[in-house]
Amino acid sequence: MRDWTTTAAGLKIEITEKMLKTLEGLDKNMLGLRGLIDWQEEPILLCTMPAPEDEAE
Amino acid sequence: MTLIETTQALRAGKVSSAELTEECLKRIESLNPRLNAFLTVTAEIAREQALQADRERRSGMDRGPLHGIPIAHKDLFCTAGVRTTSGSKVFENHVPKFDAAIVERLREAGAVMLGKTSMHEHAYGITCDNPHYGAVHNPWDLARIPGGSSGGAAAAVAAGLCLLGTGSDTGGSIRVPASYCGVTGIKPTFGLVSKFGALPLGFSLDHAGPIARTVRDVAVSLAAMAGPDKRDPNSAHRHADDLLPPDEIPSLAGVKIGIPENFFYERIDLQVDNAVHFMAYRAQDLGAELVPLRVPDGRQLNTISQITLLVEAAAVHEPYIRKQRKLYGDDVRALIDMGRVIPGVDYVQAQRLRRRAQEVYRSILMQVDCLLVPATPITAPNIGQTEVAIGGETEDVRIATTRLVRGINALGLPSLAMPAGFTRGGMPIGMQLIGRAFGEKELLRIGAALEDATGHTKLRPGIAGE
Repeated sequence: MRDWTTTAAGLKIEITEKMLKTLEGLDKNMLGLRGLIDWQEEPILLCTMPAPEDEAE
Repeated sequence: MTLIETTQALRAGKVSSAELTEECLKRIESLNPRLNAFLTVTAEIAREQALQADRERRSGMDRGPLHGIPIAHKDLFCTAGVRTTSGSKVFENHVPKFDAAIVERLREAGAVMLGKTSMHEHAYGITCDNPHYGAVHNPWDLARIPGGSSGGAAAAVAAGLCLLGTGSDTGGSIRVPASYCGVTGIKPTFGLVSKFGALPLGFSLDHAGPIARTVRDVAVSLAAMAGPDKRDPNSAHRHADDLLPPDEIPSLAGVKIGIPENFFYERIDLQVDNAVHFMAYRAQDLGAELVPLRVPDGRQLNTISQITLLVEAAAVHEPYIRKQRKLYGDDVRALIDMGRVIPGVDYVQAQRLRRRAQEVYRSILMQVDCLLVPATPITAPNIGQTEVAIGGETEDVRIATTRLVRGINALGLPSLAMPAGFTRGGMPIGMQLIGRAFGEKELLRIGAALEDATGHTKLRPGIAGE
């Protein structure tokens, strides 16, 4: 797990207990989600903001 | 009267726009001290626009269903010459020189601007307990929040201060207040409504849309707002002129409605669960097929959406937070600080995962026409309440409130929030219909059929009768 307090201190940001809990929760979820990433994906796709495709008709 | 009924009355010459506008201004003067739904009232502009609308109508001109209708804009949509604060101290004295695209479009449609509605600071929260301009109150119970961030708009519509309020939705900010105030709102497909001139929060998650009393009111309002705009790089090349559902929808035969077995109906208040399921059964009575299905874990989608918002909002506020830190309320400042701490690699990975989630939802919505789910797992909490107990578990009010709406912003799909009933204590319960990209017309048709079959929108808060 990341050391959020140190990272924040480097940016001169004070982290409260509540913020720390949120950041740790997000970090934990992202660790789990990494398993779903398609590592073969063309990185350029990420430079295009995903817009929904037209499927209504 | 609903917006549609008012349009009919205007067209029949039973009432003038000037009379309607005076009535709304009188109601604002009388009720706003209790509701705090309006931050700025533009009485002179409203009177002038109403007289203009009446003159045009007398000369035979009809600009459409919004011609002469009194409306209000959320205070993050730029209005030329009228202060636009975004509910913040940072923009306390911000007077734009131009109109936002939706302000412009609604003015061209003949709508009358009554003023600017209150909101959560910078649209970054759901309580509308604003540290600079005071809390907005829910018309159904003044001790409760209206939801947010477009809480002023929803409270104003519910209390009959205006017939339409514009809203924005980055993580539920149209749908949450619609749910908590017993009105109707739609977060359209990403790109359908231009965001030009809307002060941003999360640029890939922000959506603009209408809040009004009924589904048909929302349909005509959205049609007036929507359409391509070269000034907004995210604007889709789509028009949406013909969204109004028919007067009568006798059947929903052939419609497939997905009822998720997981996530959306987990850990929700029992009365909310019952009311929303009742709406699903009404749809079935009308001929729709209910299709049980499973959706990807909503917590994952919420994480993707939350990381995206935290980082984008931190980027948006970068120029202000450093120099004007003290002008931010505690909750918004903490969110922006969190966004500054999250590494860039997490944001990029969130976008990869977001693309994947979009593909999964696309395939789900190939099987069904829409998903019918609660908008919020609870009804409006009290002002100042920070935690709520649901199913024996205690949850942060902000997290609970956005749990079922936040992820849909990352998908960019349209979602119609509408009343699904009331608790025993008389508080509104909200549901949402989530549809295919640019499938607003079908969502509104299904919503209108359910509205006709249940009549929930006919019930008004006591304050609306004052």
